[in-house]
Amino acid sequence: MRAVLAGLGAGAIGVARETGGIALIFWRVLRSLVPPSIDGRELWRNMHKMGNRSLPIVALTAFFVGGIMVIQSGIFVKRFGATGLVGWGAGYAILREVAPILIALMFSGRVGANNTAELGTMTVTEQLDGLRALAIDPVRYLIVPRVLAMVLMLFCLTVLGDLVALFGALLFAKLLLGVDWGTFYFSFVDNLSPADFTHGLVKSAAFGLAIALTSCHFGVSVRGGAVGVGRAVNNAVVAAAIAIMLLDYFLTYLLR
Amino acid sequence: MIQLTGVRKQFAHREVLLDGVSVEIPRGGRWGLIGPGAAGKSVLLKLICGLIKPDAGAIVVDGVDVAREPESRLGALRSRFGMLFQNYALFDFMTVGENVAFPLVRRGDVPRDEIQARVADRLRAVGLAGSENKRPSELSGGMKKRVGIARATIARPDVVIYDEPSAGLDPVTTSKIYDLLRADHAATGATVVTVSSDVDALRAFAPRIAMLYQGKLLYDGTAEAIADATDPTVRQFVRGELEGPL
Repeated sequence: MRAVLAGLGAGAIGVARETGGIALIFWRVLRSLVPPSIDGRELWRNMHKMGNRSLPIVALTAFFVGGIMVIQSGIFVKRFGATGLVGWGAGYAILREVAPILIALMFSGRVGANNTAELGTMTVTEQLDGLRALAIDPVRYLIVPRVLAMVLMLFCLTVLGDLVALFGALLFAKLLLGVDWGTFYFSFVDNLSPADFTHGLVKSAAFGLAIALTSCHFGVSVRGGAVGVGRAVNNAVVAAAIAIMLLDYFLTYLLR
Repeated sequence: MIQLTGVRKQFAHREVLLDGVSVEIPRGGRWGLIGPGAAGKSVLLKLICGLIKPDAGAIVVDGVDVAREPESRLGALRSRFGMLFQNYALFDFMTVGENVAFPLVRRGDVPRDEIQARVADRLRAVGLAGSENKRPSELSGGMKKRVGIARATIARPDVVIYDEPSAGLDPVTTSKIYDLLRADHAATGATVVTVSSDVDALRAFAPRIAMLYQGKLLYDGTAEAIADATDPTVRQFVRGELEGPL
């Protein structure tokens, strides 16, 4: 019993420590933005690396997300002859929930993990100390551009992903269910509002911030060489996934 | 002048690394530090730069107590430092040339032509002429070390800190590197603090040497006399003998 309690206590302390570390990174990023002095070259480099290079995988994921939405609803559409609801159903699910969350998880696995590994390697090879020794604040120079790039790029990728997923849904609805373009289109525009689109984008910005902060925190707090970097990447991806789910729950509740 | 008084450092759940270390390094002096692995030598160097804070004691560099100064105000002091790290600390997202140029680029007041000329000059001095466009990942450990030395010295800092400058280098390159450090010191008059496992090379370079062991400085005196130090641990370490307290 004591061992169980001790284990729970240690776990709670660990969670509190990591949450505190993430909050501290957030505070330091905010402080570094006042007054704003961002290294433009670093920001641009990160936006290219995180955004442009994620485009193919995000587009591919989004396209099949659209298809999955149609396949899942296909059974009921056929049973009740509700072809007029396919555009609404697929669009509602894609814009508000599925596209933002799946693209965020994909982004976390690709960009967040890479960011943690990069910062972790820099930490264990003393590159962050090297920056500090040269009178350069690593948060201002390395972390702030990465956080901004991740938030901006996930937002943009979600916009693009929404469009690709809707195209995927349109195409699969036609091919699998025989729903013509016009029916799908009018079902979509008559039943959905811009708020459904912005709902998902607000979530994507929040997810981007969560991925950025968790990946940076676990990267800069690495201990124990290469093994530590591997552990940090694993922890960062798990923490980001938990953060995405929690944020999704609360944002869905608040923005309903 | 660098003055450490009663410096104590212990990392969480580990034994005390530095226990009341006091030392005074005069401006323009060359001070060497030796000791077994994990004795806290690199930690001592990072404490001098203010990269980590001591648990107790004072570290005063030219009148500034780096132990108590907030991080935001250490920038001015650190811009007068040049540091070679044990693990090189080369920025892997930059080329060799960009790494070496970085301290001058960040200063913002050095013309681009002069930066390029000084980078070429420093790389030539460390035997890596023409390596500007290589990536750190393309270099061997010894080459990385030499790039680190070039970066640490390019801005002609007032205080230069070398953590294992000859680690991973062959004997001939080691001699060349210490000749370069000696020449740099003669030209700039900087205060030099060097940690090295190569005791003989360090004794030839630094007139004053200290030995750190189990958190304490067992010896702090002339390089000539260290092999005959009264402390048997120091004698054994410097002579490399198998028999003794170590």
